[in-house]
Amino acid sequence: MEKMHLIVDLKKCVGCYNCMIACKDEHVDNSWLPYTGAQQKHDQKWINPVKHERGAVPHTEINFVTKLCQHCRNAPCAHARPDAISRRKDGIVLIDTQKAAGDKSLVDVCPYGMISWNDEIEAAQKCTMCAHLLDIGWKEPRCVQACPLRALNVVFCDDDEFERLVREQKLKPLSDGSNAPRVMYRNLYKRDTCFVAGAFVYQDGEIKRAAENAVVQLKINGELMTTVKTDFFGEFKIDRIPKDSGTFELICDMSGYKTISVQVTIGEESPCLETMMFEKL
Amino acid sequence: MSEKIFEKTINLFDKTFLSISLFSLDKMLNILAKASPEFKKELEVHDVTVQLKIRDNTIGRKLFFRRGSVTGKNGVLGADVEMVFEDENTARKIMSGQMIGKTSDFVAAAKNGSMVLNGPDEKAMWFSSLLLKVFAFDVLYLGNFGMLMPNGETRYVSGTNGGPLFVYVKDGKIVRLTPIDLSEEDADPWTITARGKKFTPPKRATISPYALGWKSMIYSPDRLLYPMKRVDFDPDGERNPQNRGVSGYERISWDEAFDIVAKEIVRVRETHGPGTVFYSRGSHHTWGNCGYFISAANRFFNCIGATGLLNNPDSWEGYAWGAMHHYGGSARKGGCEAYSTVEDCMKNAEMIVFWSSDPESTSGVYGAHEGTIRREWVKQLGIPVVHIDPYLNSTAAFMGGRWIAPRPGTDTAMALAIAYVWLVNETYDKDYVQKRTTGLDKWREYILGETDDTPKTPEWQEEITGVDATIVRALAEQWGKKKTYLAAGGIHSFGSACRTAYGTEWARAMVCLAAMQGLGKEGVNFGGLQMGTPLDTNFWFPGYSEGGFSGDYIGSGSGIQLYNRMPQSPSVNSNYQRIPRLRLPEAILDGHAEAHDMDNYTVHGQFRKVRYPAPGHSEVKMYYKYGGSYFGTQPESNRYAKMYRSDKIEFVVNQSIWMEGEARYADIILPACTSFERWDIAEFANCGGYIEKSFIQNNHRVIHMQHKCIEPLGESKSDFEIFQGIAARLGLWQVFSEGNSEFDWVKRYFDATDLPKRMSWRQFLKKGYYVVPPLPEDRRTPLAMAWFANGTKRDTPELAPLPSEYYNRYNEGLQTPSGKFEFEAQTLKRFDPNDEERMPICTYIHSWEGVGSELYEKYKLQLITPHSKYSFHTMGDGKDSVINDIDQHRMLIDGFRYWIFRMNPNDAQERGLKHGEVVEVYNDRGSVLCGLEVTDRLPPGTVHSFESCADYKPAGEPGESVEINGCVNILTPSKFITKNAHGLAVNSCLVEVRKWEGAFGRWKKCI
Repeated sequence: MEKMHLIVDLKKCVGCYNCMIACKDEHVDNSWLPYTGAQQKHDQKWINPVKHERGAVPHTEINFVTKLCQHCRNAPCAHARPDAISRRKDGIVLIDTQKAAGDKSLVDVCPYGMISWNDEIEAAQKCTMCAHLLDIGWKEPRCVQACPLRALNVVFCDDDEFERLVREQKLKPLSDGSNAPRVMYRNLYKRDTCFVAGAFVYQDGEIKRAAENAVVQLKINGELMTTVKTDFFGEFKIDRIPKDSGTFELICDMSGYKTISVQVTIGEESPCLETMMFEKL
Repeated sequence: MSEKIFEKTINLFDKTFLSISLFSLDKMLNILAKASPEFKKELEVHDVTVQLKIRDNTIGRKLFFRRGSVTGKNGVLGADVEMVFEDENTARKIMSGQMIGKTSDFVAAAKNGSMVLNGPDEKAMWFSSLLLKVFAFDVLYLGNFGMLMPNGETRYVSGTNGGPLFVYVKDGKIVRLTPIDLSEEDADPWTITARGKKFTPPKRATISPYALGWKSMIYSPDRLLYPMKRVDFDPDGERNPQNRGVSGYERISWDEAFDIVAKEIVRVRETHGPGTVFYSRGSHHTWGNCGYFISAANRFFNCIGATGLLNNPDSWEGYAWGAMHHYGGSARKGGCEAYSTVEDCMKNAEMIVFWSSDPESTSGVYGAHEGTIRREWVKQLGIPVVHIDPYLNSTAAFMGGRWIAPRPGTDTAMALAIAYVWLVNETYDKDYVQKRTTGLDKWREYILGETDDTPKTPEWQEEITGVDATIVRALAEQWGKKKTYLAAGGIHSFGSACRTAYGTEWARAMVCLAAMQGLGKEGVNFGGLQMGTPLDTNFWFPGYSEGGFSGDYIGSGSGIQLYNRMPQSPSVNSNYQRIPRLRLPEAILDGHAEAHDMDNYTVHGQFRKVRYPAPGHSEVKMYYKYGGSYFGTQPESNRYAKMYRSDKIEFVVNQSIWMEGEARYADIILPACTSFERWDIAEFANCGGYIEKSFIQNNHRVIHMQHKCIEPLGESKSDFEIFQGIAARLGLWQVFSEGNSEFDWVKRYFDATDLPKRMSWRQFLKKGYYVVPPLPEDRRTPLAMAWFANGTKRDTPELAPLPSEYYNRYNEGLQTPSGKFEFEAQTLKRFDPNDEERMPICTYIHSWEGVGSELYEKYKLQLITPHSKYSFHTMGDGKDSVINDIDQHRMLIDGFRYWIFRMNPNDAQERGLKHGEVVEVYNDRGSVLCGLEVTDRLPPGTVHSFESCADYKPAGEPGESVEINGCVNILTPSKFITKNAHGLAVNSCLVEVRKWEGAFGRWKKCI
């Protein structure tokens, strides 16, 4: 049986929030019962890109991690209220807002924080994947249709096929994946890992110049992890270093100049090093 | 057939046809009334007698309208309303429906008096519109337009300044708005082959968030639904102008509102003379080529004669007042043509430099996310990218590449250092410079420091810009050896840097750098993939600046683009007075103002001065404001509160969709409906005018109907109907509308364009849009400026410049006296060779308000206020729209959504400020409350907030108190960009920030 899945690609998200606006356009002032009642205009967000910054000036990176109901195969909400929350054959998890009316505890059940309380209809609500539209022939939910680069993408396939996709494309779940979510993320390393960036210069007569093509090696306990070259600005960036990795050694070489060796500690943040000067041998 | 017999036959035909159609008219009206209760209601509006006749009384028929039914009688007798035709032929043509068919006949008949409508305005207007409605009966009364969906919804089409939309309607209410996914039958898009890969855009049109959020603005609780009068305004007694912005409003009827406005127009004009009525508007109201401002509003204000606004070229500033002198382009306000640059860039460019360019936020202009798709291709192609902007803008954030952050207003110093490296290393295009340019020697002397002992080295600029010399030198060296595209601004001009003190010099530096590297050669051009797609530029459908039905052959693009396609009676403003926009409050309060003109036809035209008041004209006594954006968009905007509350303006009327901004300062408010509630026609991202063929920002040319999707909310009316209502009270309704409704004008517009060659009116009404197929690859538009680089005649599809702007042979070379690119601008030299603020060569001048200026002692932070990402100026913000829920647009703190102010963690720490708290941003010009975002998108010393919040909410006395809604333009300077240019320099602004310690007033719990 084919199921609805969403793949969210951080590198294709431009942070336009069209997904959230489309969701509000579809659900605010429109009740789609029995799928769900109308969304509250301002006090609910069923889908929300969350800005995430990495690094510091001038190496700052801005990414958006779009959060929405993960339509888990093993959904804690469905376990909490099996009478009111159903998993459809196509994998979409729906809260029956009439049956679940008054049950505010559902808001806290979702480990992703994507169930929210609607004061007006007094019920917990969340993303329906626009099931009311899919059931009349629409190919995509509203958020996907409004996404300029399809940073949100629908994959309609069976569980085995999706697992293969996840494996092959190295897709990651928003958290530990224990709820078997049907929403998976590409390039989530931009949220979950650190980078180290820096720059080198050398003295050329009166002028300080960018050290292009210098070799930068990253070592841990003497073991070489990766090697990169500096660009024409004399800068380098080594990415996808797990958070809290501890202390690394950066060894930087340019022929004719003394090797520069620095210690870098990776914790929560991505370190951006001060510009370093190569000294002549 | 002999000519005589032919003529006789035609005469007989005319007579017979006319008699029949006149005879059957009353019967037809009764049948239609039976078919549609709404039409019957229209019939019931007036009980009148109408006489239709030939002027010599040979044929005549009288219609009696009584309680919604019509009877007819042959003959000629007295009547309330008379429709008189000169002869049978004219009458037949008009009565057979050609009134909306062959419009040239109709216009000719109206112009030469061979068709006259007599009678009281209201009744005559009613009868004329009734006749026209007969011809569009099935559309207007049977709803025969749009696509019926299987679930009972109807899908209409509309347009916005952020892309076209499908509009799904059920039971008279909009259910949803979606971007337009093109269908199978629509034209397939183009393909660009670059570096062994093929790139084809997806078959859909994109949308901007502020466009997608329109439903929440249509059904906004802030909609103005009834005409209103300020409670303490009495046109016949106390007017209490000092209470504007403070007093409340009471509902009045349309009759009352129209009467007051019409009476005031007559009173001030009779009392004070020409120029006493002043009209101004924001630039980006809604969308549509007919109902939009340059169409309906221009015709109306030309009818009554009004003082207009002398617009500063706000988006272009530095280009218009600076860059233009080096290479012309007056019709584009100093911007460059963009044809086919997307393909050239993808194929040939080895680097792209985005300099003060953020098309991911600004969408170029109106271009939704069309360019986003192409910029993703650049990522795939791996072309290196550099971004120069004090703020890590969205384009830089999305594309990656090196971000270089100069101090605001210092970019010119960096550009000069780049030129320095090229001159010293001899890494510029010497052959091009020798053949196509003049004056580099002069510029070289300055750059090398021969004239002022200051070589403009990368080290020299480091002190000024705060950017390491190493970085600038490295960039200059790469640029010197790589074919580089320069995205200076978001769309072949624009960019925040052109709106700084002496931003003229930055724009000049940009074009000079481009010329040094061979502008127009393969891979060397302007652009950041935002403009210049290979679309069909021959298919003729004009943009909104072309004037719609304004008939304004002087004040719009109508005289260039529309005159030969859409016959319409001309309209001219006979009042020659204009107020320079940046001096509007001073003009009103002090009674005088002056500034340089901005001429589109010539380069030297901008040296003229415009003075207010103009000789023989009155000072402005009545202000007719269309929309209410100036508090958000204009510099030092507390000035406007003071202006409005002065008794110098006797009467203020504001025509607005929402209660916001300047609408709160009116005596009478006229509620306009949105573009979803009226008829119009337009094209995605096609403004025309200063950005001719601006649709080449798009991946598809989508020309669309703007269906009247729903009835106007409350008692709101379309702008057209409001103008018509006032015009009728001045005896002007026929002059204003030619007796046509806005639907009729849309049909006339459709007929004028190339659309009927491809699609019938009926099909267009049903489907709602047409996609113009791209031309085959070998017929694509020639590359911009390649003709210039090659030294051949211009071959790009541009009308401008005027023949007289060529000093040598027509259509050869640029719009400069030499026809070459002039590093030393002869026009500036002729104007004033010693203007130290704008020398004939581009120079760097320290800002009057920046690091090192006197004010810097007091205010240590440089504020930039670029165009907002989630709203389009004031469109999208406020109005209780869902855009306000975007937490990068506004920040929710204790129940109020504050405008966002951004600063570096170091600056915040120094001031003891924390992310997410309410701060007061202030300087000598005023103070504004914002929500603080602490971010590494800014280096220390530079702070950022987007311009243009929609509403203006002073916590106390308007103009004198802290403002809570985020009107950051209260803080920006209104000083001219340079002394001889009417341009704004809002991005040269010093401020300080402190935690808000004041009371949280009544706003605390509102949205």
